[in-house]
Amino acid sequence: MKRHLSPLGRGLIACAAVLLVAGVADAALHNVLAQNPFGAPRSAAEPEVGGVIGWLLAKQSEFYRQMSATIRAAKTDGSAVWTLLFISFAYGIFHAAGPGHGKAVIASYLVANRETARRGIVLSFASALMQSLVAILIVGISAWVLNATAKTMCKAEGAIEIASYALIALFGLRLVWVKGGTLIRALQAAQPVPAIAGVPHHHDDGHHHHDAHDHHDHDHGHVHAQHGHDHVHDEHCGHSHGPAPSELAGPGGWRRGFAAILTVGIRPCSGAILVLVFALAQGLFWAGIAATLLMGLGTAITVAAIAVVAVFAKDVAGRLSAGRDGGGALFMRGIEFGAAGLVLLFGAGLLFGYIAAERTTCF
Amino acid sequence: MGMRAPFGLLLAAGLTLAGSAARAHPHVWITASSELLYAADGTITGVRHAWTFDDMFSAYAVQGLEGKTKGAYTREELGPLAQTNVESLKEYAYFTFARADGKKERFQEPVDYFLDYKDTVLTLHFTLPLKNPVKPRQLMLEVFDRSFFIDFQMAKDNPVKLVGAPAGCQMKLERPSDGTASAQKLNEQTFMSGENANFGMMFANKITVDCP
Repeated sequence: MKRHLSPLGRGLIACAAVLLVAGVADAALHNVLAQNPFGAPRSAAEPEVGGVIGWLLAKQSEFYRQMSATIRAAKTDGSAVWTLLFISFAYGIFHAAGPGHGKAVIASYLVANRETARRGIVLSFASALMQSLVAILIVGISAWVLNATAKTMCKAEGAIEIASYALIALFGLRLVWVKGGTLIRALQAAQPVPAIAGVPHHHDDGHHHHDAHDHHDHDHGHVHAQHGHDHVHDEHCGHSHGPAPSELAGPGGWRRGFAAILTVGIRPCSGAILVLVFALAQGLFWAGIAATLLMGLGTAITVAAIAVVAVFAKDVAGRLSAGRDGGGALFMRGIEFGAAGLVLLFGAGLLFGYIAAERTTCF
Repeated sequence: MGMRAPFGLLLAAGLTLAGSAARAHPHVWITASSELLYAADGTITGVRHAWTFDDMFSAYAVQGLEGKTKGAYTREELGPLAQTNVESLKEYAYFTFARADGKKERFQEPVDYFLDYKDTVLTLHFTLPLKNPVKPRQLMLEVFDRSFFIDFQMAKDNPVKLVGAPAGCQMKLERPSDGTASAQKLNEQTFMSGENANFGMMFANKITVDCP
């Protein structure tokens, strides 16, 4: 038993290390960015919650606050529109780097569902686009067409927000259910004696197929590792740990992806709504729409970058843990289950107000 | 077999990443000026706020309201909105937190509230009477939004006025971080003080009044 579990333990530590490095690198990047405007270098030992967030927030605020002045300027000076588009784009990038559950949910989803980096990018862009469109629709319908008051609009926003958090929780619950089942099967399969023979009869073909896949692959895994890094990252990941790309593109695959897009994309950004209403009040609704779409594009780029890092981190963890027969697969199922649990935690946390920072304030 | 430790590490790592989800940033900016109201005997009876919103939020807030003159709104026309404002603010404890000699004080519901609209921005005026008027040696008043959806800044000129305060009372205002060097200083201080080492506190406007 001891021997059997030790590579697992090593793999877990490796994965935790990779995730921690990713987290620290995230903070470090902010640090590096933070140093430029002030010139003076800061000590690396400074607590992460220090001036970096302050700077990030200040930067966001700066871009965001420039928007209203720029929209005003665009009324008389057409060239200000270009400035507006640039500011919106930059705001989007910073906005997603700071707060927001979107990137966390997408990253967790990708890890839980053995997705490829390419799909991560597609999901990031699709959900950001949806987010922009929802904001445009809310303001377009309620303010422009119905001339509703801010109170009504904010209530609508609040209702959508609650719904979106509930969706995240449900989505997480479903992931936990599916991944929990897979993990249990992997645990059974890892026990040497009768489990392997027993498993296929109790469960549907699809999952059996995956399990078989993984077991076969572990012999290949060694070969791959010895070959070095000639393989394309995506393909390697897709072949050894996940279902084939064709399976992903099948009805279940895209429907599953759509659920992720819907879950993240349905909640509009309050900032976008404010910008849109303000633009509408200035008689420049189209400029607000353009700004919102550019904000979405900026957001998508940041989220996609984080998604790629998450997929890569999982891939590295997978390679590190693939040292022993059986243990590696079990370990990866454990990671997937953990990621599924994170999505559920986010959803529940947001829904029940533990992450109160993301509640719309209506007043 | 030490399986729990790595799992714990993993969880910690996950939460580190998740932690970023809890970081907020402001969408609304308020320039505040506040008056501390004193009775003739020197007790503090309440706080009167004047909060000026940024022009983006102001445009949002008046969306769908019809004024007699286009682009202008009278105090009467804005009455229902002011009503909504103060009613909604209750949930957030009016973003106003008072301590008299270290003891938490509570406020009653706002009175004398109204909105005015000037130069495309809204200003909300309201008075918060203290539940129990107090006569402390030191009064501490903080104005901030814990979730930092709203960025409160005290006005540059006359941010705090003591109305009818006994002679010899001294007012001190500590402004929050502006995201540069002061952020770090304030942050260290926040952590050193131990209690309330929470994110939103970094953005608190702290008014201290010492009376002899």
